[in-house]
Amino acid sequence: MDIQNQYVVQLENVQKNYQLGKTEVQALKNVSFEIVKGDFITIAGPSGSGKTTVLNLIGCVDTATSGIVRVLGQRTDQLDDEKLTALRHRGIGFIFQTFNLIPVLNIRENVELPALLDESDTTMSKAEREEWVDHLIEAVGLEDRMKHKPAELSGGQRQRVAIARALVMRPPIVLADEPTANLDSATGESILNLMKRMNREYGTTFIFSTHDPGIVEMADHVIRLKDGAVIENRRRVVEDAVSADGLPLSGQVKAVEEKTIEAKVHV
Amino acid sequence: MIAARMAYGNLFLHKAKSIILGTIMCLGIAVLFVGNSLIDTAVNGLHKMFVEGYTGDVMVTGPTSYTTTIFGETAGGEDVIPHIAQYSKYEEYLAKDPRVKATMPMLSGKVAMGIGEQVIGSGSAFGVDSESYQNFFSGNVTLVNGEWPVKADPAWIMLSETSTAMLSRSAGKTLAPGDKIVLSALNDTAGTVIREVTIKGIIRFNQSNQDLARISLVDADTLRDLLGFASLRDGPIELTPEQAQFVSSFNPDALFMDSFTVASGNTANAAPTSETAQTMASSAATTTAATVQPAWQFLLIKLQPNANAEQFQSDLTKFAASLDENDHVQDWVAGAGSVARGALTMRLIFNLMIIVVGVIVVLITMNVLVVSISERVPEIGTLRALGAKKKFVRKMIILETTFLAIISGVVGLILGYVILILLKNSGITAPNVFFEAIFAGKKLVPTISAIAGLEAFLSIFAMSIIASLYPITLALRIKPVVAMQGE
Repeated sequence: MDIQNQYVVQLENVQKNYQLGKTEVQALKNVSFEIVKGDFITIAGPSGSGKTTVLNLIGCVDTATSGIVRVLGQRTDQLDDEKLTALRHRGIGFIFQTFNLIPVLNIRENVELPALLDESDTTMSKAEREEWVDHLIEAVGLEDRMKHKPAELSGGQRQRVAIARALVMRPPIVLADEPTANLDSATGESILNLMKRMNREYGTTFIFSTHDPGIVEMADHVIRLKDGAVIENRRRVVEDAVSADGLPLSGQVKAVEEKTIEAKVHV
Repeated sequence: MIAARMAYGNLFLHKAKSIILGTIMCLGIAVLFVGNSLIDTAVNGLHKMFVEGYTGDVMVTGPTSYTTTIFGETAGGEDVIPHIAQYSKYEEYLAKDPRVKATMPMLSGKVAMGIGEQVIGSGSAFGVDSESYQNFFSGNVTLVNGEWPVKADPAWIMLSETSTAMLSRSAGKTLAPGDKIVLSALNDTAGTVIREVTIKGIIRFNQSNQDLARISLVDADTLRDLLGFASLRDGPIELTPEQAQFVSSFNPDALFMDSFTVASGNTANAAPTSETAQTMASSAATTTAATVQPAWQFLLIKLQPNANAEQFQSDLTKFAASLDENDHVQDWVAGAGSVARGALTMRLIFNLMIIVVGVIVVLITMNVLVVSISERVPEIGTLRALGAKKKFVRKMIILETTFLAIISGVVGLILGYVILILLKNSGITAPNVFFEAIFAGKKLVPTISAIAGLEAFLSIFAMSIIASLYPITLALRIKPVVAMQGE
């Protein structure tokens, strides 16, 4: 398979500047990297390193000052608002640090929401959609909370709802901006495990940012930023254990190989 | 559907906003509903009162400078309204028009009333043919005492109950049918004219106010004499034996004997002799309607119920112009004069008030919505990030305003309805003529119409939608990136 076709995200010499009053702040400095389909990748780094800016660009909610951002093969700088919205809708699921659930909708409605935003979308029939929503809610362990409002749930439960919501459109990419920042460590770990399970089960690319070193270690692919530049790009190649007849044994790891990808570091 | 679900939910989530906006809309709709109903009551009441009781739908008047009221007042300031010179041509024209239900000619003027030499009052008098008047305004006039005049009756007057009471007070005795009173009026043609008439009956105008209740009906020829149309009478001047004796023995020379010296033999410039006076009286007594077109100042026209009055008026105006007499063709509002104009002015003022209230409602609503949008930036940003198009956000906010308008509208209409019922049951009496005009009668009986309620609802709804336009543009400017910035 052509490796180019496996890239769901490509950043080439991306620069992002912000205007703060009269001062121009350089948030990203010639950042380049690729993300392969099915990656479980973290954008790591301390506060102010540019993690959220990278996620904003990948999530098509912001545009680069210069350089090229390709998401699912499309150059985001060449798309208008309508097309960017469609790309986000069909291609990217979002998990926010502050959960961002819609308070007036119950859990089931929140999960189903992205599938209802475009009435002209007929990808899924109503029955298929409802079955998929039920399955996702069950997968995140909230089947007994379906009729509850977000305010009636704990932080961890809300983030589980957000994960289910992010997956409802079956997007190739899910972006999570510091998904564990507002959770205690045990809950944060369970959320990461849930995300990883979803990554394995559905083959969805998970891209999440964090500044927690413990969580970084759970990722298969780490891109570390400092002061707006990539200082590390390391992929852990996981070889699944196989049975005697050559079939993969789910959840069993045969070998792990750490591979550092050439990082273009600009300081 | 999800947009509607969210819009509905947001109404209850943002209670303070909903209560403020809902209260404004509710009060706005109630005020408009009550106001519209009261104005409709006034205008419809006046329309019914004048069209059915005084003016008809459309009226033709003689050639005054400007419009003329049924009370003989002219915007041009003429003392007496000229008569319609080609009256018979109008009758011919109108007889062929299927839109016309009935016509009636009329005269109108101000007269002073007295007993002997004592003046006991004054007021508007309508010169009519008794039978025509009864047919034309059958629903508005009731005979209280006496009888309706017939063709052969000598000079007569039908006094209203109100006039009878006032005149009786001034006269110091109760006037009743059979009594005689003296009418006098000043006109440019004959100076002061005095006529004695017999009170034939007492009538009541079923729909009236303090001014209308004082109108008297007089036989047309008597009013013609009083207004200076004596030469255009319908019948001969009938003199009592005493009057005939006076005229036959009258020597005008005697009036000027002390002041002038009349040259004998110069008959051309001499004042008429007693013989001449006798001849004049004789001549007048033998004048008949066969040779003279009787003078009428007004031609009132009632239209069939489904006829378009405006179109009819327009058509008749064209016909009037073809006669080249400068006659006026006018509607009931012009005929009713200041009373109707007052009510219509009130309507105009009310409409202006609606605009002012509307601007205030729009500004307050807009302000509250702007605050509401600014509080919901992360939510709208999240929706945009999740793939909501701008039209989804627009739809959600419009639906929110719509739901609020519907809920407030129902409450406002119920509130307005209750206020109108209370006003109806309270039986408020008009304290003066001004309020009689506003109430379209002596008591306030508001008509509660669904159209008035619908108008009020649609007005406030439209204002709410207008008020939401700017907040919507603000909401559409919210970028999805704000979702990443936290709640």
